[in-house]
Amino acid sequence: MTVYNMYIFSKDGRMLFYHEWQRKKKSRQSIEQEGKLMFGMLHSLQSFVSKMSPVSVKDKFLSYKTNKYCLTMLEPPSGVKFVINTDVSSSGVQELVHTIYKQVYVEYITMNPIIEVGEEIKCELFRQKLDNLIKQSVIHSSKAE
Amino acid sequence: MLGTCEDTLFELFHGAIVSTILKDATAEEEIDERISKLEYIGFSSGLRLAERFTRDLPRFKDELDIIKFLCKDFWTAVFKKQVDNLRTNHQGVYVLQDSKFRMLEKVSNGRQYLDKSSRLLVYTCGLIRGWLAALNVPCVVTAEVISMPACKFHIHLQRSS
Repeated sequence: MTVYNMYIFSKDGRMLFYHEWQRKKKSRQSIEQEGKLMFGMLHSLQSFVSKMSPVSVKDKFLSYKTNKYCLTMLEPPSGVKFVINTDVSSSGVQELVHTIYKQVYVEYITMNPIIEVGEEIKCELFRQKLDNLIKQSVIHSSKAE
Repeated sequence: MLGTCEDTLFELFHGAIVSTILKDATAEEEIDERISKLEYIGFSSGLRLAERFTRDLPRFKDELDIIKFLCKDFWTAVFKKQVDNLRTNHQGVYVLQDSKFRMLEKVSNGRQYLDKSSRLLVYTCGLIRGWLAALNVPCVVTAEVISMPACKFHIHLQRSS
């Protein structure tokens, strides 16, 4: 599994966090603009998906796959959106995003008494833990292959 | 894995109390006043905790015994681990070192947020002071953080001369 990059958006669309591990093609716009575009697209996509849904249950995960990469998004009930781009052959990405949410975001952002809720994430500890988790997942999956 | 509900609730409650008490305080005197309040909240909890905690135990031998109990049993019950290092000058000053203090664990792994870290130790200073006061060991407790999540608590016993 290769993780390319990751975005975290607040409920109202502000980009709280962005990190790249590998990005071969640099975008032509600034990260802020890219974030806005990403959020807008996801918002529209979610609305479209639920309108077209043949079943009544609300989706938690959303993902799309091109022939080059796969985007996976998790939106827990609190409304924060976690978006991760991986390579096409990756498996277990939904679990990974879920783990990022439960073991890294909740533990080191929500439970951090210094950080205000909804603030841009600048916490070093969060970045370190996220990095460790991603690296572990990449190693783990390459052993399994 | 997350702890029990009480653990999470205590951490969140502690964090909320700290930020509520210190909210919008800018002038130094104002901040000092709020810090005293926070310390007092810890003190009054510690006072009562001592009653609840030690009622089943035999009387302590001496003050060193009390401090050792603080470092082992008390610290384990409240902070899920023992104090890592205890130093004393045998003249009423004790320094407790915790290399992974529970209230600092989720904040940083070094020096980020250092300026805001001391406020997370105030309640505990009061807690220790109250607990010792209930056991007839009056003292002054201060704390310092050099690099999180490690911190030190300084206990100065007050002797009536």
